[in-house]
Amino acid sequence: MRETDDRGEVLQGTLDLIVLKTLETLGPLHGYGIAQRVQQVSHDALRLNQGTLYPALVRLEQRGFIKGTWGASENNRRARFYALTRAGRKQLEAETAEWERTAALMARLLRGSEA
Amino acid sequence: MHELRALVSRLLSLFRRGRLDADLDAELESHLELLTDELRRGGLSEDEARLAARRELGGIAQVKEAVRDQRGLPFLETLLQDLRFGLRGLARHPGFTTVAVLTLALGIGGNTAIFSAVQAVLLSGLPVPEPERLVVITTRDAQGGETSDFSYPMFRDLRDGARPYLSVLATAGAQVNLSAPGVREQVKGELVSGGYFETLGVRPLLGRFFTAAEDVTPGAHPVAVLSHGAWLRRFGGDPSVVGREVLLNGRSITVVGIAPPEFRGLDPTNQIDVRIPMTMATVFRPFPANRLQNRRQRWMRLTARLAPGVTRAGAQASLDALFRNVRAAELPPPSSAAGDYERRRALTERVVLLPGARGLGHLQGAMRMPLLLLQGVAAVVLLIACANIANLMLARNAARRHEIAVRASLGAGRGRLLRQWLTESLLLSAGGGAAGLLLALLLHAGMRSLVPPEAAGLLGSALDPRVLAFALAASALTGLLTGLAPALQAVRSAPFAALRGEAAGGSDRLLSLRGGLVLAQVALAVPLLVAAALLAGTLRNLHRVDTGFARQNLVLASLNPSLNGLPQPRIAALYRELLDGARALPGVTSAALAGASVLSGDWDRLGIAVEGYTPRQGESMSPNANHVSPGYFGTMGMQLVLGRDFTEADALGAPKVAVVNETMARAYFGGASPIGRRFTLEPGGPFDVEIVGLVRDAKYVNLRERTPRHFYVSVWQSPRHFDLTLHLRTGGDPAALIGSVRDLMRRLDPAVPLYGITTLEAQIETSLVRERLVSAFSTTFGLLALLLATIGLYGVVAFSVAQRTREIGIRLALGGQRRDVVALVVRHVSGVVGTGLLAGFALSLGAGRALGSLLYGVTPGSRGAYAGATLLLALVAAVAAYLPARRAASVDPVRALRCE
Repeated sequence: MRETDDRGEVLQGTLDLIVLKTLETLGPLHGYGIAQRVQQVSHDALRLNQGTLYPALVRLEQRGFIKGTWGASENNRRARFYALTRAGRKQLEAETAEWERTAALMARLLRGSEA
Repeated sequence: MHELRALVSRLLSLFRRGRLDADLDAELESHLELLTDELRRGGLSEDEARLAARRELGGIAQVKEAVRDQRGLPFLETLLQDLRFGLRGLARHPGFTTVAVLTLALGIGGNTAIFSAVQAVLLSGLPVPEPERLVVITTRDAQGGETSDFSYPMFRDLRDGARPYLSVLATAGAQVNLSAPGVREQVKGELVSGGYFETLGVRPLLGRFFTAAEDVTPGAHPVAVLSHGAWLRRFGGDPSVVGREVLLNGRSITVVGIAPPEFRGLDPTNQIDVRIPMTMATVFRPFPANRLQNRRQRWMRLTARLAPGVTRAGAQASLDALFRNVRAAELPPPSSAAGDYERRRALTERVVLLPGARGLGHLQGAMRMPLLLLQGVAAVVLLIACANIANLMLARNAARRHEIAVRASLGAGRGRLLRQWLTESLLLSAGGGAAGLLLALLLHAGMRSLVPPEAAGLLGSALDPRVLAFALAASALTGLLTGLAPALQAVRSAPFAALRGEAAGGSDRLLSLRGGLVLAQVALAVPLLVAAALLAGTLRNLHRVDTGFARQNLVLASLNPSLNGLPQPRIAALYRELLDGARALPGVTSAALAGASVLSGDWDRLGIAVEGYTPRQGESMSPNANHVSPGYFGTMGMQLVLGRDFTEADALGAPKVAVVNETMARAYFGGASPIGRRFTLEPGGPFDVEIVGLVRDAKYVNLRERTPRHFYVSVWQSPRHFDLTLHLRTGGDPAALIGSVRDLMRRLDPAVPLYGITTLEAQIETSLVRERLVSAFSTTFGLLALLLATIGLYGVVAFSVAQRTREIGIRLALGGQRRDVVALVVRHVSGVVGTGLLAGFALSLGAGRALGSLLYGVTPGSRGAYAGATLLLALVAAVAAYLPARRAASVDPVRALRCE
């Protein structure tokens, strides 16, 4: 899990947000699907280490933001699908707002320091 | 909220690890398959796709490990693992575990038992709300004279003047004869001022306490409050006692309330049965009659509660100013030179407020030194026990070198090893602590049986929360102390060298570490043995001390008919009838009456002036005094040296006579005969008392005292009689006589109870309770220390012989003598023991000095005690060395060389 990779590693808080957002967009998804999606959206700039992804899924499930159930994948493989819970939806909203606030603040600050 | 939920989920996961692991495996497998499908769709062959997918996924083991860490509580899991492993290890060596747990149980149990007494006697406050706000009012004058007695008018002035910052209450003892249907006995009474219960913050169990109105008119408030104990013992806990009238000292008094069970008054050592309003002093302490008005009569003790926010120092300053104003006003005007001196001295009196959280008890003072001493002794024993366990664990380390090495090479870090080792020692000490707590309960019960029954309640409960906390802390500390050295040694011992084979260097270092521990054990055991010998010597000396009277076969019984309101002529007649009747009892060889019995701790001092004798500056002219009947000296077995005993002719109206002891005669008359010399009991008056006899010195107040000046006057010359004690010398078993004395008293006057019925020997034993307790415990601890040190010594010697079997074999094979081999072992033992003894002597010097005032007839440097301790240690060291030495000498060189 502590393997280094030339592609970008994600911060813990950010990873949680990314996973929640992915599940909101795509609906219930298995671990492999989440990893694929993140890689796709980031145009391969972000690569999820499985040693980071799976603990994150456990963490989110422990907090009650997502719920995992066993089901069949598109090509009929047995897989564990994760779905956003109501608490997860709320958490996503809160974290998104928080993230935007931080991002806006950073942007303002960086602009300010340039001037 | 979410965090809490996560924690619960983590905790729960600990119990369904198997299921979760299977799920995780399935999930990762499905991830792999999905990835493989994807790659295959991209054109790779089945095998290539599978291989690439595995590469892509990374180390599956690491992923699982990361998920497991996130899922559960890694810290707790390792701890549980350590605990399981530790328990398994201890279970594999039941012998070692049993010895270790028992050793620690003795150490921790002893400490906990002593601490339960320390906490009950020295640490806990009175069982009232906010005891720390209570203060005891005392005064000190310029000469250093201290007093805690005050007059009633002074009490009223202080109480009224200090009201804003102090609530002052007063107490005074009173003897009370209680009669009610089915009950007739002498009980302990206490006169208390009106605010007593209110100020202390105590609520009645039944009925009510005294009201302010009952604190006003002298003699007009016939009410009483019973203690819980007296209510149970005398009235069987019958609630209808409240509101009923009982006869106290012949007066009809209404019981208005019952105090709660935990309330033990201001002096927990003195169990009061009945409390009466202070204004009833006119009935319960009738002499002098003007007790409540007289400012020179100081007889009450004052306690107070600080108002909220007031400090003791602040209250002391205010109260001192008030006290000096009152004092200046109440003292008589300077008339004579003597009066002037008294006045000047009295005006230097200053108020001192002492902390009152623990009440007025004297026990704290008397028991402080012995209890702290025993706690120290117990702590040393625990240290020795710790050294023993550490030693055993070090020996086990040697046997576990291989295991340590394997663990280290499999990746267990130093921290993990250290934690594993400490877990084991903490497990041992936890076991020892639990067993020790049981032992402490037993010891506590034992202590209660060693002290007089009325003091047993003082020892409190062994299950007090503070005692439990102490046992827990002692166990934890013990675990760390025993585990640290072995753990560090285990971590430091070169694990890789051990894997390669036997490394001699490490074993030598280990041996010297263990030798050091044994040396420390011996050094610590010496002062304990010396102290035990000194204290046992003290007890023996006190038992053998020449008391000046015959101890055996003397029965004592006290009575106080004056409390029943009998007229004085009737009282005198009753005493004579009792004496005559007692002399006629079968088995009684002689009988006498006396105002006080020896070693009862109850004594009068009377001020005198001696004809032809000028006191030195500061010399006390108040010898001990006793009122005795004719035949007292013969009954006590006190030898009359000169002159005569009192006779029946020495009665009221006849010339006053006295008998003095040798110390008093020597002090006032030098070597000359005291017979025919005169003194007076009213300094300033005529010298009207003639000395007619000289009696040998004896012990009076306690067995340790330096003989005080002491004189006797004839009891029949007293104008009034109060309490007297009947002394009966018997031919046989004194206990058999007690029943017939009771019958005799019942025939003479059934309303007058006998109290304090005992034998002189029992009274002496009671006066030695403290010494017996201290000696019993210090001897036990001393022997325990010796035993532990012996075991430690044996362990190390046996270990070193086992380690050197090969070396010994080589020596023998090369022609060494078996004698030399034995000498080798003996040198080793005597080196350790000798050095330990020397260090122990140094420690003993300090310990002996700390004992100081507890000793009697032995000096802290007593050669006997040191020689005894040395001999004992040398003896057990010889025993501890003998077995290993014999084994060393019987080593078969061929076999020793063949093994390994």
